[in-house]
Amino acid sequence: MATAVEVPKLGNTVEECLIAKWRKHKGDRVSAGEVVAEIETDKATFEVTAPVDGTLLETFFEEGTLVPVFTNLFVIGEAGENVDAFRPKAAAPAAQPAATKTASAPGAAEPARASAAAPAAAARASTAFSPRAQRFAEEHNFHPAAVSGSGPGGRVLEDDLRKLYHSQRPSSTAQRHIEAGEEVRDDGSGVAGMILSSDLGPAAARISGIREKIARRMRESLAATAQYTLNSSADASGLLRVRAKVKAAKGGPDININDLVTFCTVKALLDVPDLNAEFFDGKIRRHAEIHIGFACDTPRGLVVPVVRNAHLLSAAELSVKIKELAERAISGSIAVDDLSGATFTVSNLGNFGVESFTPLINPPQVAILGVDAIQLKPIRRDGKIEFIDSIGLSLTLDHQVIDGAPGAKFLKVVREKIEKVESICTI
Amino acid sequence: MYDLIVIGAGPGGYEAAAHAARMGKKVLLIEKEKVGGTCLNVGCIPSKTFLRSSELFHECGEAAKFGVRLGGSVEFDMPAVVERKNRVVGTLVKGVETMLKRAGVESVTGQARIVARNAVQVGDQRYETANILLATGSRPAVPPIPGIASKSVLDSNSVFALDRVPKTVAIIGGGYIGLEFACFFSEAGAKVNVYEMLPQIATGADLEISTRMLQILKRQGIEFHLSTRVLGIEGNTIRYSADGSEASATADCILNATGRAPVVEGLGLEELGVDFGPRGVKTSGRGKTNVPGIWACGDVTGRRMLAHAATREGIVAVNNMFGKKDRIRYAAIPAVIYTHPEVASVGRTEEELKAQGVEYRKSVVPMAVAGRFLVEHEGGTGMVKVLAGARYGEILGVHAIGDASSEFIVAAAIMIETEMGVSEAGEFVFPHPTVSEALREAILGVH
Repeated sequence: MATAVEVPKLGNTVEECLIAKWRKHKGDRVSAGEVVAEIETDKATFEVTAPVDGTLLETFFEEGTLVPVFTNLFVIGEAGENVDAFRPKAAAPAAQPAATKTASAPGAAEPARASAAAPAAAARASTAFSPRAQRFAEEHNFHPAAVSGSGPGGRVLEDDLRKLYHSQRPSSTAQRHIEAGEEVRDDGSGVAGMILSSDLGPAAARISGIREKIARRMRESLAATAQYTLNSSADASGLLRVRAKVKAAKGGPDININDLVTFCTVKALLDVPDLNAEFFDGKIRRHAEIHIGFACDTPRGLVVPVVRNAHLLSAAELSVKIKELAERAISGSIAVDDLSGATFTVSNLGNFGVESFTPLINPPQVAILGVDAIQLKPIRRDGKIEFIDSIGLSLTLDHQVIDGAPGAKFLKVVREKIEKVESICTI
Repeated sequence: MYDLIVIGAGPGGYEAAAHAARMGKKVLLIEKEKVGGTCLNVGCIPSKTFLRSSELFHECGEAAKFGVRLGGSVEFDMPAVVERKNRVVGTLVKGVETMLKRAGVESVTGQARIVARNAVQVGDQRYETANILLATGSRPAVPPIPGIASKSVLDSNSVFALDRVPKTVAIIGGGYIGLEFACFFSEAGAKVNVYEMLPQIATGADLEISTRMLQILKRQGIEFHLSTRVLGIEGNTIRYSADGSEASATADCILNATGRAPVVEGLGLEELGVDFGPRGVKTSGRGKTNVPGIWACGDVTGRRMLAHAATREGIVAVNNMFGKKDRIRYAAIPAVIYTHPEVASVGRTEEELKAQGVEYRKSVVPMAVAGRFLVEHEGGTGMVKVLAGARYGEILGVHAIGDASSEFIVAAAIMIETEMGVSEAGEFVFPHPTVSEALREAILGVH
């Protein structure tokens, strides 16, 4: 009876391994415990040993191939036996669907289920377990995600498992907590290392799809750009006067400070079009139209709705559009088209009292403007110290294409627009 | 150069010293008085020998109920009671000394002073060491009551030298020390008054249990003055106030049983910067003080002033100082009040659960559900109370009143320490007939 050997799962995050070297080749006699292959993860090299004596009937992959974990790697048996049943691509071995699924579709629920099933498969079939360790694992229904072996070549012995089993045994109450979804956070603090309910905590929750998307975009943003932030501030008294006027004139659109700053930004982009651009594949694409993205906090996380052709809108129209999009973003009814295609983004944390921050660019855009809180700021005027309302501005730029001076120049233009807001927007 | 110097040879210190010596460490144990500490010499053991004598004397009066008629008069021979106490204590102290010798612990008698992180001085002799374990214990507390420090007022040390049973006894303090002596003196024939500042006795015990205890002890003739503040003592007169009015009473003997205070003076702790206050030396759950190399266990830490807690704390400290991870779990330390009837408890009280907002289920059964209890006690009363988590049924507290609950409370301690649920605990087989079956019934009664 031929025995297939799988690529073992060598850690929680390891999904595939590289075949580094075949120490034995098809047709070689091997004895149990002999190293047949060397495989590599991104962290280390491991040896895969023969579980039984016999002839190496087939090696399924070339050196240098990346193979998903739990995929059959080679088969040992008696010369002449048919190995087709073990061939990974044909009749799939039990563990393979999990591995394939994980590789092709990293959805939210799938990897969790796969990793729960995985150790069992590893314990059953992996060469890393001695037969007695395998039996112990089966008898105790104990399939730890990670166990370090003290045997030759890191082989897991029964004693290793037994020690781990006893050190991890939960109390009956802790077991009930675990069944209710908690997980072990600490070493067992009870008698002889027994896990007590105080050693448990809420299980780590997989992040939502939208969160995953945000995470990926943020990572990509930092990885693909050379970001730096310039901080400045503008006299906000004009903004406040306009706002007061809006409030006084009941019935009109409720234009707020953020709308006004966004409006001024659009005006500044018209003056400095270099920042209304996208950079990718080594090419800069400037846009004649200004599509303003604005960061919006929703119950599902950050989304960035886009106001198209913002340069064609009045302050009132812009305000109405922003509110409309924000409402739909918050209620979750926003269309996908309204969430893409921005040429520049504004992010406002001022209403949280943030005084300065580092907004992250949404590539391939080349800049993002952060709007900070309005604070009192001392200035010297006619030899006297006065206090003015001042609004903070934090502009992040991609140094790959926008140097410090042009970036600062744009910020200066934004500042001027804000300080002259009364003359550029009519209420 | 020692691996460990232990200061104080009570149940915290001597067990820790022996444990370290058995691990192959070079250990010096320093004691200023007698090996055995408070527990053996003026605490647990002497008070239990006194209580055994008074119980027997009391039972003689009850013998007829069991069909035993005693001829002649029955007398309480206080000098003989003290003599027996000394004999029992002597045997146990000798046992500890032998045990220490066998384990290979070196001993020195004298007042120790820590002169450096790694050095302890006794008289002129300086001893170098890698670790120091403070196990200096506690002494009777002396609250700020005028006259309480006078010689006519006994404390839980001097009370063991009494040569006769006083006719009347006033006890200040209705905690476990006061209650045990109240029980002893009452059974020995004295008229006992207990003055307690708080509105209940045995504070810290489950209220349902302490309320039952109060009823029983009152019925035995002990008089309780609760919510009563003692204002001063002069000679044989005790002045107190209750409900806003003052009163006074006289007693042949006045006993200060207001609690115990950690012994932290004269050890050099201030100079070394060891963190301590009036409630004791501060330690981590592994027995460390804030000063590396200096450890503490037992009453001096002010955590749980119980001999068995001290022993476990000492062993935990030794294990940790020599690289073996260990910790004490305070959640499951049993406590007993050796009155007649006994009160034994482990885990959290119903009041604590309420205060912590823990949802719980409870079951209370009378001790009389156990046949053995009826056999042993004529007209006796008692109960067992089990508190379990509402959701998972884990046992959170067990509180019992009735003899001999002290002997089976450890079973409950194991259940709590291992977070057993009532369904698992209900699978245990309890021997029949024993009083412990009341515990089983109470566990099965949790729904």
